[in-house]
Amino acid sequence: MENAHIVGRFDRDLNKIKDRILEMGNLVISQINQATEVMQNTDAAKVDRLVATDRQINGMNKDIHRRAERLIALRQPMALDLRQALSPINIAAELERIGDHAKSTAKRSHKLAAPPKDQEAMQITCQMSGLVQTMLADILVAYTNSDIEMAAKVRARDLDVDRLNKAAFAAGLRGISQDPAKAETFVHLILLARNFERVGDHTVNIARHVHQIVTGEDLKASA
Amino acid sequence: MTKPFIAARAVNVFYGANQALFDIDLDIEANKVTALIGPSGCGKSTLLRSINRMNDLIAACRFDGSLQIGGQDVYAPAVDVVALRAQVGMVFQKPNPFPKSIYENVAYGLKIHRLATSKREMQDRVEWSLKSAGLWDEVADRLDEPGNSLSGGQQQRLCIARTIAVQPKVILMDEPCSALDPIATAVVEELIDSLRKDYTIVIVTHSMQQAARISQRTAFFHMGKLIEVGHTKDVFTNPQNEQTQNYITGRIG
Repeated sequence: MENAHIVGRFDRDLNKIKDRILEMGNLVISQINQATEVMQNTDAAKVDRLVATDRQINGMNKDIHRRAERLIALRQPMALDLRQALSPINIAAELERIGDHAKSTAKRSHKLAAPPKDQEAMQITCQMSGLVQTMLADILVAYTNSDIEMAAKVRARDLDVDRLNKAAFAAGLRGISQDPAKAETFVHLILLARNFERVGDHTVNIARHVHQIVTGEDLKASA
Repeated sequence: MTKPFIAARAVNVFYGANQALFDIDLDIEANKVTALIGPSGCGKSTLLRSINRMNDLIAACRFDGSLQIGGQDVYAPAVDVVALRAQVGMVFQKPNPFPKSIYENVAYGLKIHRLATSKREMQDRVEWSLKSAGLWDEVADRLDEPGNSLSGGQQQRLCIARTIAVQPKVILMDEPCSALDPIATAVVEELIDSLRKDYTIVIVTHSMQQAARISQRTAFFHMGKLIEVGHTKDVFTNPQNEQTQNYITGRIG
């Protein structure tokens, strides 16, 4: 915020929490990226690393929660400040859930005997991964800059994610009917696509939080 | 905890037949703000006033136990109380500038303790004190005006400038913001935060929110007893004692 408080501690403490959110967000994006790599090329060691990093992400969520709780107890924020102090709790929880989906993607990918790279459902799922990673990166920027227009654009892009998810589902179903012996692979692909669809939804939730910080309006309630 | 700068051991204080403090053991760290909180009559102000022997001024008051500042026993017979109070300054609830000019208010302590050897040095130290108290820019061109011509918040910062002019080691504050509006309070709170790098600060406040905002350690008193002391962040998020929890959440007091 441009207007600094007379008492600088609130801003300093809040900025530290914001830094943690960005750190956590970047780690989550990297997890999605690596999970997508595992989806395309089986790599057991990478899956193990992803699972370990997810524990680190869970710890970051708890740390952010603790810092926000302390900020509220010690600095008694009001109005915009209160929303700024509460939002890290919600945003970190969304990032933590996104982290879970990245982990789940990696573990499910590991079950695929051979990554069916040439399948349409796989190609669409990879496209979804790229899209949600960009959305996440953009929403972290929107959060940092309190940019609600950028947040609105991120929310709008989720329609593309949903559209791709439907396309992946249809492609998966076609695959099953054409080659029933590979039904299990196609079900995995459909569920992998759904993981990214869920990531998109959590990203939209973060975008709503950004909107609420700035305006005080709860988009979920008014939807 | 690092070595305490102020150490109270088995402190009992009586006003005549009434006992105000019971067996207080409290360590106060250097360069931190320690807040003493608790309901009226809990003994927090009594303890604060014991640190620079302000209670000596009350005839029926009796101190028992030990209180050391920087390893020196405050209640040793040889202690010069005037010198002690130069080392342990105090800021009161109501701003109480002397009926003198802004300049003279700050120069007063320097004069009686003979801490400036020349007029130039005196001027420098007055300026330094007013700058340290965040007041210089507001009064630099009106140093000859009476101290009580300033606003309440400015008067309180003038009192803080007067206190730090003699370069004490400890600053005691007894409800320093209770007569100030929220903006003047925020200015003084920010000042307190900046002063702690050079001084050990002990503050009594009725405002738990203020204690939470400005202190690093908090001690909760109830009926003359020290109930809990710890890092402020812990006391206000996860107090260990039920009485503390009840007080800070507005259930007793």
